[in-house]
Amino acid sequence: MVLEFFEWMEGSALSLTFQSAVWYSPLIQVMHLVAVAFFSGALLLVDLRMLGVGLTAQPLRQVAQDAQPWLVGGLVALAITGTPTMASTSIKQYYSPFWWWKMEMLLLGVIFIFTVRRKVIEADEGSLGPVWPKVVALTSMGLFLGVTIGARLIGLS
Amino acid sequence: MSLRGLFEWLEAMPMSTALRESIYGYPILLTSHVVSMCVIAGLLIMMDLRLTGVGNLRTPVTHIQHRLFPWQMLGLAMSVVSGGLLFYGQPMRFYGNFWFWLKNLLLLAALANALYFHRTTYRTVAAWDTDAVPPTPARVAGALGLMLWAGVMVTGRMIAYSGLVPQWWLDLGLT
Repeated sequence: MVLEFFEWMEGSALSLTFQSAVWYSPLIQVMHLVAVAFFSGALLLVDLRMLGVGLTAQPLRQVAQDAQPWLVGGLVALAITGTPTMASTSIKQYYSPFWWWKMEMLLLGVIFIFTVRRKVIEADEGSLGPVWPKVVALTSMGLFLGVTIGARLIGLS
Repeated sequence: MSLRGLFEWLEAMPMSTALRESIYGYPILLTSHVVSMCVIAGLLIMMDLRLTGVGNLRTPVTHIQHRLFPWQMLGLAMSVVSGGLLFYGQPMRFYGNFWFWLKNLLLLAALANALYFHRTTYRTVAAWDTDAVPPTPARVAGALGLMLWAGVMVTGRMIAYSGLVPQWWLDLGLT
């Protein structure tokens, strides 16, 4: 069932269009990479603040609010630019353990930043104590480090 | 010694050969290079967005500059080490690669832009530190920084596509 879906994706119009020109793949891949940088910057800005380094003179909630458009925008851009690459090489992705690893980490990471991490950001800073924000920041960075490692290794699998 | 001779000499070194033939060396270095890129480019983008008056506007420019600088330098150090070793493992792969040279040129331009900004506009930062929209020279430096770092990432990724290059470059016969 899952394999059939991947086979359907590889034969889809999007996949075939994407494979039809030699420049499409590198063009989308470089856009994906730029989106990665925007997303990483917005994520790190807040995670470093939660670790007690980085922009410590600003309230955590303010740093997170200012970073939010770049975090969400980066994530949307990643989804848009990642889809054609995924569709055009879906059979390869299906058989790559790194792709599954990346997607599992990504799913966990996205759920984590929009639930637990968000709750910590919106809470009263004084009530959090010194440990909890650091644990959340390290978890957030660890999950997206896992995504990056998995993504890079797909190409080498 | 010519540049080509230098690259060939590097490639013939035992350590270069060992790195090239290592099963795990290349994936580990390449992954480290991408992670370091996320740190340096990500945090530079956040700073440049502030300089251009587009993002992080409630944080003073000096605070972003001082507090992110050590992390940007950490990312840069990781990037230089992993990138240097990637180069050292396969120098001749890069010698004729159009994107490799363009990436390094853009990297130098990005560093020159940062240096010029710090020696000129940044000296007056006390006068506009908390302004949501910094003066034009600062916004130009921020916009240039964003474009140049995006260029570094784009050309860095394009190194894998050594055949997608202008014809005049192929005519040089460097490969």
